[in-house]
Amino acid sequence: MTAAASHVPHIKVENLVRAFDGRKVLDGVGFEVSRGKTLVILGGSGCGKSTLLRHIIGSLKPDAGRIWLMGEEITGMPETQFAEVRKKFGMLFQGSALLNSMSVGENVALPLEEHTNLSPDIIEIMVKMKTSMVGLTGFENLMPSQISGGMKKRVALARAIAMDPEILFCDEPTAGLDPVMTAVVDVLINDLCKKLGMTAVVVTHDMASVYRIADQIVMLHKGKVVFQGTSAEIQACRDPLVMQFIKGEADGPISFKQSGDDYLKALMGEP
Amino acid sequence: MKKHLQEFLLNLGDYVVLLGETLAICFLGPFRGKGPKARHTATQMVAIGVDSIGIVCLVVFFVGLVIAMQTAYEMVKMGSEMYVGRVVGLTMLRELGPLIATIVLGGRSGAAIAAELGTMKVNEEIEALRIMGINPVRFLVAPRVLAFTLMTPVLAVIADYVGILGGLFLAIVNLHLSAHQYLDLMMQGMVVKDFVSGIAKSVVFGLLVGSIACHFGYRTEGGADAVGRATTMTVVTSIVMIILADAAMTAVLVYIL
Repeated sequence: MTAAASHVPHIKVENLVRAFDGRKVLDGVGFEVSRGKTLVILGGSGCGKSTLLRHIIGSLKPDAGRIWLMGEEITGMPETQFAEVRKKFGMLFQGSALLNSMSVGENVALPLEEHTNLSPDIIEIMVKMKTSMVGLTGFENLMPSQISGGMKKRVALARAIAMDPEILFCDEPTAGLDPVMTAVVDVLINDLCKKLGMTAVVVTHDMASVYRIADQIVMLHKGKVVFQGTSAEIQACRDPLVMQFIKGEADGPISFKQSGDDYLKALMGEP
Repeated sequence: MKKHLQEFLLNLGDYVVLLGETLAICFLGPFRGKGPKARHTATQMVAIGVDSIGIVCLVVFFVGLVIAMQTAYEMVKMGSEMYVGRVVGLTMLRELGPLIATIVLGGRSGAAIAAELGTMKVNEEIEALRIMGINPVRFLVAPRVLAFTLMTPVLAVIADYVGILGGLFLAIVNLHLSAHQYLDLMMQGMVVKDFVSGIAKSVVFGLLVGSIACHFGYRTEGGADAVGRATTMTVVTSIVMIILADAAMTAVLVYIL
């Protein structure tokens, strides 16, 4: 790779705006991620982090703003062209999203069967490699309904990296897992990114995970970026909003009341 | 009222788009190497068609028997009960074989497809396919619609035979006719068009039910209740559409061709 190319950010988001029914869910979000780094998108429930991820992977279209993946602008890209870009990234869904009618091995083999001309023998070897990378050797013939939630997450991870993607997206990879399995999945994501040189974007609200995996952190609140920096910087940050979130306190500027209307107006009625 | 009309038009629009894409994948896809996978289609043909043979036979045998009983009741009075076979044969071939087979298929396999695709949609499995760069219409919808369209005529032919057998059962047990008499008089009254028109209907019925089931499954949004609604809508819409298509095709086949 040339020196110039290495300076091109692997993922770039610029001034992204998206509103649903007049309510702005993303309001001028922007950041850059370099190749091989892990970005964590942080924020409370409903702050717009999953929506942001869905824009980056192209399943939602922004009202304004631009997104580049691997140096190519994807906003406004025709679907046929974007299908090629999709082959170069993997996605780990919150609910794993394994195909329940197919075995673990078939799930991992699926992207390889659909996108490559490899022979079944080679695909079988690659499936074994990927499942062993996530520590699930010998589980290829089980159905998703026969394995635990943590194992499903790891199978979904094996499927996401089946095509050796350049970028790995993870939507709440550790939600609903016990602390040990959370650590296992975090270590896996870290290891895989290092071994395969992948860039990773991880959406989470689990602070323990953040400190373990993040090279870079973007924190969202009400659709706006309120913090950008490293793990050390977020711990040193004095912004009350950020401090409340990372310490997990109930009192602070982040209100637990989520209402579209003004509280007083709702209480007193319209004047 | 306006909301219902809007919802209906949206539904219809989505259906036409999905059907168009499915037909393009089935007919043009193979030339570009992007047709439905043979393995997936074969699996669906077994699940939709082969596994339904038993229930279709059971239902249609009794339909044949009932038609024979009802017609014999009147024909005995005129001393023409030997023609029961002809009535049963013509009714099964031209009308009830394809119709009953498709209605049973719609209730069994159509509902199953809607529930399966609906659950996959709700569980983000369809979204996952799209993000993996796999076209869900090619991967899920096209094999199911193709399998439905191919298997319905096969089941209609089986239904024709079994229905005739149901009538034969009554002819032997109750009317004391021989199998030879029953079948011989039946064959005398039949032309190839009777058989072909029934099969032509079943192809259209199969395409309709398969695509309706995939449509309602594919556009499921929400949770378990939405999956239930998709299944109900599939069965209700399928039956209504089969009957409407049947009326239209019968009019064309009887009065125009």
